[in-house]
Amino acid sequence: MSDRIVQYSPSGRAGAIKGFLSKFLGYGGAQLGLLCLVFFIVLAAVPNILVGPLETAGTATGDFLAPPSGQHLLGTDEVGRDVLNMVVHGARISLTIALLATVISLILGTTIGMTAGYYGGRVDVWLMRLTDFFFVMPSFVLALVITPVVLEVMGRGREILGFRPSLFVILVVIGMTSWAFVARVVRSQTLSLKERTFIDRARVAGSSNFSIMVRHILPNLVPQIAANGALVVAGAIYVETSLSFLGLGDPLQPSWGTLLSLAQRAGAASAGAWWYLGAPGLCALTVSLSFVLIGNALDDTFNPRRRVIP
Amino acid sequence: MAVGGLGGKTSRRIGSILIRAVMTLLMVATLNFILFRVIPGDPATLLLGGARVSVNAEQIEAQRQNWGLDRPLFPDQMVDYLSATLRGDLGYSFKFRGRHVADLILERLPATIALVGLAQLAAILCGVMLGLYAGWRRGGAFDRVATGASLALYSTPSFWLAMILVVIFSTTLGWLPGYGIYSPGASIGAADRFLDYLRHLALPVSAVALGLIGQYVVVARAAMSDVVTEDYMVTARAKGLTGGQMLMRHAFRNAMLPIVTLISLNLGYVVAGAITVEAVFAWPGIGGLTVEALNARDYPVLQGIFLLLGASIVGANLLADVAYGILDPRVRQ
Repeated sequence: MSDRIVQYSPSGRAGAIKGFLSKFLGYGGAQLGLLCLVFFIVLAAVPNILVGPLETAGTATGDFLAPPSGQHLLGTDEVGRDVLNMVVHGARISLTIALLATVISLILGTTIGMTAGYYGGRVDVWLMRLTDFFFVMPSFVLALVITPVVLEVMGRGREILGFRPSLFVILVVIGMTSWAFVARVVRSQTLSLKERTFIDRARVAGSSNFSIMVRHILPNLVPQIAANGALVVAGAIYVETSLSFLGLGDPLQPSWGTLLSLAQRAGAASAGAWWYLGAPGLCALTVSLSFVLIGNALDDTFNPRRRVIP
Repeated sequence: MAVGGLGGKTSRRIGSILIRAVMTLLMVATLNFILFRVIPGDPATLLLGGARVSVNAEQIEAQRQNWGLDRPLFPDQMVDYLSATLRGDLGYSFKFRGRHVADLILERLPATIALVGLAQLAAILCGVMLGLYAGWRRGGAFDRVATGASLALYSTPSFWLAMILVVIFSTTLGWLPGYGIYSPGASIGAADRFLDYLRHLALPVSAVALGLIGQYVVVARAAMSDVVTEDYMVTARAKGLTGGQMLMRHAFRNAMLPIVTLISLNLGYVVAGAITVEAVFAWPGIGGLTVEALNARDYPVLQGIFLLLGASIVGANLLADVAYGILDPRVRQ
């Protein structure tokens, strides 16, 4: 991999990217995943144009728990809101939370893993002990106990960066509890990278530790970070959906998990209202599966040896 | 260790494993301690049962002295908290006024253990067998279907599977109950009651198990694929062993290594799935208690559950390390 990067000419880089793309897009899983993802990103980008503003109990247009019809393609909920309308708006909430949480988690995981691997010694021992804790404790279990306390401290009400406080807290907590796997992968990769000659050369040329890490090690970590990042997104969707289902989401900005929670409270399953609970779950499943497929395809592209853990 | 005497390396390995486990538990307890002090409101009022209970100033002062809240947070209060936790004193619930958290949790534990235990068993039996077979015949039609279905199941939230199962088997077909643990007003006979219990278990167990099977299939398949390409398999073939003999004598045992590790390390995710599935079925276990505690912002109960989950996850990790040592002689040396 690094042999290719050594030839540092613009045309060489373009060729490498082209080679990567043709290999990556050769995987059926990658095609399917990207296709689904583009679809949901479009939904998330312009929900107002596609289905109009988010319906509320006041602006509901249909009967209570009406099955799908020409007017309401996915039926209505217990107060008469259009399920299609809510699911499309939910795409925006769910995807934004999952992606932002992943960004936090990748930044934390990369920084911690790279620092531990590069400096070694005592720094490595302590950072890895911290990583072990977050590796052993699942993000969902940590978030379950941390989220309500942070919410109580912050108080509900004002929005932060356009998010209702509960969603903001959920995304930060997921991001801060799901970086351990990335940190481990990045650390082991850094350990092998720092023994290479180009690092020695940079050090002889007078580069500082920080600049070696950012300019020489980080670019070589991108494949690992990308492949694991896709899996972190899938995990973040799972955790967000589960937390919202347990009632930690916000009904004013409903994600797919919150919609499922509302459906559960309305007794949709025992009323046989499959349309109400079917769509949000199917969306969460599709997006999560897309990211898993993309992550696996990325990994297969970068690593000829097959991975062991999905 | 059951196998062989305790060499210096083995005991050092066990020592470091134990230290890690204790450190993790200590961090769980510390997180609990910090979170409880961060919640707005006077800790003394909180300890008396939350803001909704009316207490007078004298009671609060008495509590303050009783719990040592007038002493410094660190180390005095922290040490008190940790020693109380070690004694099993997890404080009082806000919602179920005056009840010990430990009692509440112990009451709910059996229902969850039954659910999680049966689901794990079913998922391991089905998932591992399907996965090993897919890996053995990798690239074939069965492998493709099994891998695709497993990835889909792996990405599906278990509670959504639970809701779908209720719609199909309970609401539409009416075959199985989709709510609770016993039918209200069911017949009194012990055998009938047990049968009724099993019928109520069927859907929750299936939902949790289906959520797990995908993962087990993928890992078992990968483990088997790795084993199949090893040199000793070529040797086994050259010795003239049949496919079945190779599978049983060489492939199976080696493929079990990563699977056993996954099963033990997976407990956290199993419990996470079970909590949400219990919420769907109003199953009176730890998951049901979690939802009640979340809705009532009953922090002592929530933290008690967190401690329980932390302890069981750490315990499962210990078990994985020990099992790995027994299964893989290279780790022992």
